[in-house]
Amino acid sequence: MKKMSAAKVKIKERKMRNQPSSVQFPSRENNPRNGGDTPVTGGSGSNAPSDIQQSTERQTKPQHRGGWVRGHQKDGGSYAKEIPKYISGGGFAMARAAEVRAMLKAVNKTTASCHVFEALPKHMRRRAMSHNIKRLPRRLRDTANRLREKSLQAGSKKKEQTKAKGKSRKARRRHGNLLLEFNRRQRKNVWLETHIWHAKRFHMVKKWGYCLGDRPTCKCYRPCYRAMSTHCLLQDLSYYCCIELQGEEEKLLAALSQLTSKQAGPTFAAALCLSGQRQGSVVVYRAGQYPSQVLGPVTFIWKPCTHGSTHRQLWIWAHPSIKQDLLPELQSVCQCCEAVVPPVVPVVTPAEVTPTTEPELKPEKAPKPAQSHRTKRKRSCKDACEPPAKKILGDGTRSHSTPVTWRSSSTGIVINDLTMEIVRYRLIGPQSHTVLAETLEAATDCNALDKSQPSPLWWPEHCKDESKMNLHKQQADIFNILKDIYSTGELPAGTVLGLAVDDPRLTLPSKKVKALPCVKQTEEVDEEKRRELMLRGVPKNCCQSFLWEQSVRDNVTDNKISEQELNRMRSEVLVPGSRLSPTPLQGRVPVLLVHQPGKQVGHEMSSWGAGWDLLLPKGWGMAFWVPLVYRGVRVGGLNMSLKHSQNKGTPHFPHDYPDCPAGVRFQEEQETELLDNFKRRPPAKRTNYVKHGCLAPFCCPWQQLAEEWELITMEEREERKSESQTETTTHTDTVMEQEMTSQPNIGETKPQSFFTVLRNRKSLKLLSGWCRPTTSKGQRFCRIGQVPLPDSSAVRLFLTEHRMSVVWVRLSLLSKGKPELHAMVCVPLTEDLKLLSNKSDCSGPQEPLHKNHFKTRAKHKKKGSNKTAAASSLSPEKTEAEGSAEPNLPVAAKDPKSSSESSTGLIFGLWPDPLPSVTSHCSRVTLGWVTQGDFSLSAGCGEALGFVSVAGLLSTILSQPTEYRGIVLLRNPTSLHYRLAKINIEV
Amino acid sequence: MVRVKSRYLLCEITVSDRSQLLQLDDRAVATAVRAAVARTHGDYGAAQCVIGFSVKYLNAHTGIVFLRFPKRCYRLLWSALPFITCIETRGHKIPCVLNCLHVGGTIRTCQKFLIKYNTQQLHQMLPKCKNDEEKQQVRKAILTCSLPGSNRKESEEDFESEEDEEE
Repeated sequence: MKKMSAAKVKIKERKMRNQPSSVQFPSRENNPRNGGDTPVTGGSGSNAPSDIQQSTERQTKPQHRGGWVRGHQKDGGSYAKEIPKYISGGGFAMARAAEVRAMLKAVNKTTASCHVFEALPKHMRRRAMSHNIKRLPRRLRDTANRLREKSLQAGSKKKEQTKAKGKSRKARRRHGNLLLEFNRRQRKNVWLETHIWHAKRFHMVKKWGYCLGDRPTCKCYRPCYRAMSTHCLLQDLSYYCCIELQGEEEKLLAALSQLTSKQAGPTFAAALCLSGQRQGSVVVYRAGQYPSQVLGPVTFIWKPCTHGSTHRQLWIWAHPSIKQDLLPELQSVCQCCEAVVPPVVPVVTPAEVTPTTEPELKPEKAPKPAQSHRTKRKRSCKDACEPPAKKILGDGTRSHSTPVTWRSSSTGIVINDLTMEIVRYRLIGPQSHTVLAETLEAATDCNALDKSQPSPLWWPEHCKDESKMNLHKQQADIFNILKDIYSTGELPAGTVLGLAVDDPRLTLPSKKVKALPCVKQTEEVDEEKRRELMLRGVPKNCCQSFLWEQSVRDNVTDNKISEQELNRMRSEVLVPGSRLSPTPLQGRVPVLLVHQPGKQVGHEMSSWGAGWDLLLPKGWGMAFWVPLVYRGVRVGGLNMSLKHSQNKGTPHFPHDYPDCPAGVRFQEEQETELLDNFKRRPPAKRTNYVKHGCLAPFCCPWQQLAEEWELITMEEREERKSESQTETTTHTDTVMEQEMTSQPNIGETKPQSFFTVLRNRKSLKLLSGWCRPTTSKGQRFCRIGQVPLPDSSAVRLFLTEHRMSVVWVRLSLLSKGKPELHAMVCVPLTEDLKLLSNKSDCSGPQEPLHKNHFKTRAKHKKKGSNKTAAASSLSPEKTEAEGSAEPNLPVAAKDPKSSSESSTGLIFGLWPDPLPSVTSHCSRVTLGWVTQGDFSLSAGCGEALGFVSVAGLLSTILSQPTEYRGIVLLRNPTSLHYRLAKINIEV
Repeated sequence: MVRVKSRYLLCEITVSDRSQLLQLDDRAVATAVRAAVARTHGDYGAAQCVIGFSVKYLNAHTGIVFLRFPKRCYRLLWSALPFITCIETRGHKIPCVLNCLHVGGTIRTCQKFLIKYNTQQLHQMLPKCKNDEEKQQVRKAILTCSLPGSNRKESEEDFESEEDEEE
C-alpha cells in the first residue's frame, strides 16, 4: 500500500514537474507558526519579510514543493522578498515575463511521458518509426536518437551480462561460416550425407549417436505405403555400421561359427553367401552362448574370391545400437586385440581425415581466376578461425586417434571398422530396379588418349586392363537386363551385383519424373537371359566390385567433382541443357547393388517390399540421392522402416528384440518416454490403467511372463501326473517328469535363468504347424500347414527344450479393431469361442472394470501422518483384493504391503512397481504382449506382431477344439474390450 | 474520448491598488467564488461548485487565475463571477473584479492563450513607458519572454533526472 501510494506520488510529481504552480506569498504555513491569527499585513509587520524569506529558502531545497515558481526565484528575487509598497512598470513587466516563461515551459513540455512518438498526432504515427528514426519528423529526431541510444546502452548492459551478440544472419550464412557451424554441430551426433536434405523435410531425431529423419513433415503415410507396394521408397541407411573382416577363409569361418548356430538358419558359411553371390543375414549370439545372450541381427556380404586365393574379405552390416556389443565380441572371437593406430597403417585412413594433398590430386581443369578466388576466400576463412572449414565426410564424432583397425597376430585376421565409410541407400518396392536402371548408367569407356597416359584416377587405369573391361561389360549387360524385369521381387533374394557407373548428376532430368517400367516386348535372347537372371541370380564373377578396395574408394571420394564445378562445366556446354560430353574422367563410381528380400515368411504377399540396396563410396551420397529422388521415389524415414518390417511380418530391430542388450536399452528408453507422456496429463485426464487391469502399459515384463508360465505348466503337469499315476509311460517320459517335478525346488534355489526368444527353425516350424496357419484374415486355412494335433509327449518334449521361451507371432484380427502397442494377448474361454460361431456379433467379450485399491491409499497418505491409522485401513483393502478372487491370491495379498512401502513412487493410474501376477491378473489369462500393432494396409485388417510365451501358447492350443485352434483374444491397454484374433507363426 | 470534461477560465483579477494583489492566495479566491455562486444561484449553485471546481493557478504578481469548472455547468458558475467585488484574505478585504480573458477546454490552451496575451501586453507597454529605466526593464522582460535554445539542454537534464529516478 505504502509503496503503491509512493509510486503514485512519484508519477504525479513527474507529471506536474513542468506545470507552473501558483505564485503567492506563503501565508498558511506562517499563520500557525506565528501562533495566532495576527495578520501578516503587507506594510506593517516587520517580521513579515523575514518570514517570507525564510520560507522561500526552505522551499528551494525540496524542489517539488508548491509555492514559488522556480523561475521567479532565480531572477525575480528583488520583488519576492517583501510585499512592495508601490508598483513599478519594470516590476510589472518582469512579472509578466516570468509568467510567460513558466507557461511556455508548461506548454512546450508534454505532461504525460517523454516518449517522442507520443508527441506526434496519432494519424502520423507509424510502426516502423521505432526502428527507423528517419521516419520521424526531423524536429523529433534528436530526442528520439537520444532515447534510442539510452535504450541501446541499457540493452547492451543486459546482454553483456548474459551473452555477446551473435553475428548477423548474412555472416552466419556465408559458406565458410556455415560449414564451420555444421561441423560444430556434427561433433556430437553423426550426420549422414543427406542430413541437410532430410532436415529440411523430416522430423529429425537423435538416435544411436546419429541425426536421423524419423518421418516426413508432410502428410504422406499412405503415399509412402503405396510407394512401397507399387513403386519405390527410398531410405538412407548409411547409419548402419559396416565392419570389415579380412583373413583366411577357414579361420574366419571358424571364428564366426561361434557366434551363430545352424539351428537358427543358415550361418556365415552358407555356400551361396560364401561365394559372394548372395547377401546373408544371421542373428548373432555371444560366442558359444546360443540360444541365450543374443546380440542382434546382422547382414553380411562376402567378397567374391579371386581365383585360388584363400584370403577373404567380409562385410558385416549391423545396426549402430549393437555395434558396441558386436565389435568386442568379434575381436575376442578373432583374437584381434592389437589396435592399429591409424597413422601407422597408411592404407586405413580414419574417417575424418581426407588427404591434405587433395588440390594436387585434383585435375587442373578449373579456370585459374575461379580457383584463385576460391583459395583466397578459403584462406581468409582460415585466418578468421583456426580450424579450416572442411566438409566432414564420414564420422565427425570420432577423434583422429581412435583406432578403427585391429589386427591379430595369431590368426592373421584384420578387423576394420568401416562405419560411415560406405553410403547405403535402400530402395523398397517392386519398381526399384526401374528407378535404378534409369538413374544409373554403366560407366562409359574412356577414349584412347586418356588411356595412353598415366592417370591418378582409377578408371583410366582400369580401362587399360582388358580382363577388367570384360568383367565390366558383363556387369553392364546384366544391369541392362534388369530393366526388363517385371518386379524386383522376382529376383533371388540377396543377389549381389557389382558395377561401375557414371556420375548420375550428368543425366539428371530437368524435372522430377516418375520412373516407369518399360513395357516394350523384349527379344527372345533377352527373354532367355532374363530367365537365367531370375532363376540363378547374378553369375559369380559379376559380383565383383571395386567398392571393396579401400584405395579405389578413397580415390573416388577424393576426386569427386564438386557441384559448383559441374555446374560451371554445364554452363559452358554449347547447347544449354544438353549432356556433358565427354564424361569427365572423375565421374566413374564403383557401386554395389544388393537385393533385399521382401516378405519371405507366411503364405501370402510373398516378396512384398523387396528392393535393392545401393552401396556407394562415401562423399557421393548427395550425388546419387538427388538423381534418385528425381525419379519419383518417395523418401521414408525411420518410421517407414518400422512399417516396412511390420508389413513384412519380420521383427524390427531394436524394437522387437527384447532379449538382446540393444533391445533392452530400447525398451527402457521407450518406457521413460511413454511414462513422461503419461505424466504430462493431469491425473483426472489419464487413462487409469489400474482400473483397466493393465499392469504394464509401457514396458512388457517378459521375464516375469516366462517365469509364471513355467510355473503354471509345472502345476498342470503335477496335477495330471497325480491323476494318471497308473498310466504306463515310456522311460524317457518318466525321466523327464522326474526332471520336471524336481524343478520347482531347483527353480527357487538356482540363479535366474533368462527368457529367450525362440529362433530354432525346426521348433518354429513345428509350432507353426500346430497353430493351424491361416490366411491373414483368418478365413481360409492353408493346406500345407495342416498338422494333426500333437500328442502330449511331443509337447512335453518341446516344452522341456523351450520352457523359458517366447515366440514371435503375427496376430490378425478376425473382425474390427486396431491393436496398439503393448496390447495384451490373452487366452479365450470356451464361451468366448462360442461367440465366434454365431456370426451376428463377433465383437468379443468385455473385461470387468477393476478396482483401484491405490486410490484410497493415496487419500490416506494425504490425510494421515498417523501410521497406525494407515496400517489399520489397509486391512479392509486386503480383504477386498482377496474378494476380487483371482487365482493369484498370495501375490495380490502380498502386494499392498510391499507397495505401501514404496508408495513414494506411486503414480496415479499405474500399478506400483512390484507387479502382481501378470498372467492371471485379468479375467482372461495373459499369453504375451504386442510390440507392433496397427491397421495393416496390406492385409486390410488390424494386425499385430508380438511375443507370446511358448508354454502358454502350447497349453492354449492343446485345450482348444480343432476348429478354433489358434484363436486368441487381444485387448488394448486403453480399452476393456477383447477382440478375437488368429495367431500365426510364420517361418 | 472518455474523461471528465471541464472548462478552464483564465481570469485576471483587477484591483485598484496593485500592492494588495500580492496578498492573494488561491484559497481566498476559491472561497470568494464559492460565496458569489451561493449568493447568486443559491444552494443549487453551491452544490455545483463542490465537485470539479478548483483554482488551478494563481499568480499573485500579475493577478492571473485559472479556475476550473465542470463543463456541464460552467456557464452557470461563470455568470456568478461578475458579482465578486472583493476577496477577503489575511483579514483584509481586497476590492477587486474578476475579468475573464479566455475560456478553454484544457489548461494547455489557457496557457497558450496566456503566453500570447502577456507578450501582447508587454509589447503594448513598451511605447507607453515614461522613463528610460522602465523602458529598459520592459525591453529586457520582452527579451526574456522565450526559452531561447534552452529547450534541448533542459530536456537532457530531464532525461538524466529520469534515469536517476528509474535507478
